[in-house]
Amino acid sequence: MVLLENDSFLTELTRLFQKCRTSGSVAITLKKYDGRTKPVPRKGHPESYEPADNKCLLRASDGKKKISTVVSTKEVIKFQMAYSNLLRAHMDGLKKKDKKSKSKKTKATQ
Amino acid sequence: MPYYQTWEEFARAAEKLYLTDPMKVRVVLKYRHCDGNLCIKVTDDAVCLQYKTDQAQDVKKIEKLHGKLMRLMVSKESGAMEMD
Repeated sequence: MVLLENDSFLTELTRLFQKCRTSGSVAITLKKYDGRTKPVPRKGHPESYEPADNKCLLRASDGKKKISTVVSTKEVIKFQMAYSNLLRAHMDGLKKKDKKSKSKKTKATQ
Repeated sequence: MPYYQTWEEFARAAEKLYLTDPMKVRVVLKYRHCDGNLCIKVTDDAVCLQYKTDQAQDVKKIEKLHGKLMRLMVSKESGAMEMD
């Protein structure tokens, strides 16, 4: 799992989308992150981390390659704008609802 | 694992589930260009909510919900609890 900076993550995510245009899927996971870098300690052992409340973890994968990044409050505005644009630009293979052409087609077949 | 039929129900249930336990809930987005569909899942490993679509108009909705949850995660807990 490669942990990247926000910008590098967006670049790599673009590449993942481009690679999967002909086959395969892109899976993106989003989860709240409290900043811990060590596993949860067993009972009786003191917690050695400081809980951070303002971060989230984003992971992406095409089944083979895995990338991830951490976004915090300071970066979220900029990151979210770029990220939304990216999603909307690449998830364009879906059907567009076109009522007019649909009704025309059914009329033609009748 | 039930797939929601309407976006409104799914969005409401997803936000509600997130607010019950922000640390446990994760959001998974799976896009398949070759099949032309998009699937979103929100789960806390006990409850699983899913929505699937092949409509372009849903991409914007899904991306907005994703962004909303992202912002909720990075903001301090000010939604459910009041800061003293």
